[in-house]
Amino acid sequence: MGRYIIRRILQAIPLLFLLSIVMFSLIHLLPGGADAVLFNPRLTAAGRAALRARMGLDDPFYIQYFKWISAALTGNFGYSFVTNEPVSSILARRFPATLELFGIAFLVALTLAILIGVISAVRQGTVADYSLTILAYVGISMPAFLLGLFLQDIFGVTLQWLPTSGTGSYGLTLSPWASLFDHLQHLILPVIALSILFIAGWSRYMRSSMIEVVKQDYMRTARAKGVGQVSLLMRHAFRNAVIPLITIVALDFGAIAGGATITEGVFAWPGMGLLFIASLNARDYPVLIAMLMISAFLVIAFNLIADILYAVLDPRIRYT
Amino acid sequence: MDISEELNATVEEVEPFLELTPALVQKRRSQGRIIFDRFVRNKAAIGGAIFLILLFVFCFLGPALWRVNPNQQNILSVSETLAPPSLAHLFGTDDVGRDTLARVMAGGRVSLSVGLTSMLMAILLGIGIGSFAGYYGGVVDNVLMRFTDAVLAIPLYLLLFVLSASFTDGTPKSVVVLIAFFGWTYAARLVRGEFLALKQREYVLASRTIGASNLRLMFRHMLPNAAGPIIVNATLLIGTNIILESVLSYFGFGIKPPDASWGSMIDVGQGLFDVDPLLVLIPGALVILTVLSVNLVGDGLRDALDPYMTER
Repeated sequence: MGRYIIRRILQAIPLLFLLSIVMFSLIHLLPGGADAVLFNPRLTAAGRAALRARMGLDDPFYIQYFKWISAALTGNFGYSFVTNEPVSSILARRFPATLELFGIAFLVALTLAILIGVISAVRQGTVADYSLTILAYVGISMPAFLLGLFLQDIFGVTLQWLPTSGTGSYGLTLSPWASLFDHLQHLILPVIALSILFIAGWSRYMRSSMIEVVKQDYMRTARAKGVGQVSLLMRHAFRNAVIPLITIVALDFGAIAGGATITEGVFAWPGMGLLFIASLNARDYPVLIAMLMISAFLVIAFNLIADILYAVLDPRIRYT
Repeated sequence: MDISEELNATVEEVEPFLELTPALVQKRRSQGRIIFDRFVRNKAAIGGAIFLILLFVFCFLGPALWRVNPNQQNILSVSETLAPPSLAHLFGTDDVGRDTLARVMAGGRVSLSVGLTSMLMAILLGIGIGSFAGYYGGVVDNVLMRFTDAVLAIPLYLLLFVLSASFTDGTPKSVVVLIAFFGWTYAARLVRGEFLALKQREYVLASRTIGASNLRLMFRHMLPNAAGPIIVNATLLIGTNIILESVLSYFGFGIKPPDASWGSMIDVGQGLFDVDPLLVLIPGALVILTVLSVNLVGDGLRDALDPYMTER
């Protein structure tokens, strides 16, 4: 197992290097470029040249890449073209919002997906199963932005129950508890929008793996021994059926560095996804490339974590 | 339940003949017929298929009956902008007086053709890469699969936005190429897996001994045997691609105005949701129903093509 992990990590290193070259070139191919989008159009030619030189945009492409990668390897991702802040501090400021949204949505989604999956597996073929199946299909077929839009309109505009965007109300002086409550209110709709997407997919997964497990021989043996229905489901079936789901969840969690781009965009949630769209529109190269690389790194890392989790949870799986 | 009822009802009529027609002599159905019968029995899948056929007729033949230019603006007339449904405009008009029904048809043509053609491109690419990797193994496999891993490791929406900002000019063709570039990875892994298993089979060895070339083995003998999972994946990919196109257009990275796609219609309509919710609801419902139908058909095909499904 140890050797397997080391080999996977060693394989990931050249992959990340390759990706960094590809992404760096793609970013620099963006039309418009930094100076067309960022610089004040009334800037004199000399000022323009000075700014270009300071940002390193006049160097040949491979020199720019080399400078970037050698700094990035020491953890320095450069400075934002727009605000001149270090990229790492921008990311550090944005990440908590995404982590909060993702973390809560994942907890909600996982709980409900498992519940729904088990119910429809146990009650396979009943009205409950069919209704949950139809709901899951609709959820899977629904584009994320449309779901967000509907939620905003129903709960925010028509019913006026919940705020539709942002992380808190502006212009109000609130006591700490009231402001926490205000923040939680803002959290509800994005969490619902994000978790419904996951619930739809995961509950189908849970259902089919539960149905698969119930058919196994050891389940019949346990039932023959006189194990009760609840204990049979919870202790014998559930623990095996949930293993594939956990690996899927780990894989999905790898997307966190990109943020929930769509959900954040719809609800103006100031996390990584919104940062990415803003940086893309501003051609803020250092932020874009840092985000792409960190996302790719996390996707690869969580791929590995999912594989390891699979082996840890299911002793029948052996990696060599 | 219904099977036993059926048996009970017919047992007297059947019994005298049972010995004359044992199960083995019953008329054998062809493989395709078995799959078709299984598919037809799946009501949800048939419902989805019928909806998709009607949708194609609506989008591609509809304009022959509803002769309104989808890009014709009528911005100066108060009664023509944001009009509610009427005989002149069955689905009403948008904020610049364009006919929603005509735009939904035009947008549907774009969304459906983008979904279909990008699926075709992605599947062909996936089959090409997957089959070479699976068939040749070794270095070829390693290089191609590491390349696949690299594409898979890219956060989809992030790079999709970057690429559509740089490489697409807002025409459906460029959006198709872009979506296909990301869609092939799953098909490639699938085909590689199938080929790894298939190349051990005796019939492959048999045709190699009689001198079949590598390409002939791969695409004449092995590929048809991997067809089932590929068809299922291809069907589901249409739904994914239609969603991707709508997301791109919604964020302004896809189809450029004045041309319509369902996604860009939702984007335009969302600002007017309070005034005229139909501008979002109609294209939105069409996206959901289309993807839903595609998924139902795909899952129906999966069950129908699954050799482990017991024949009842």
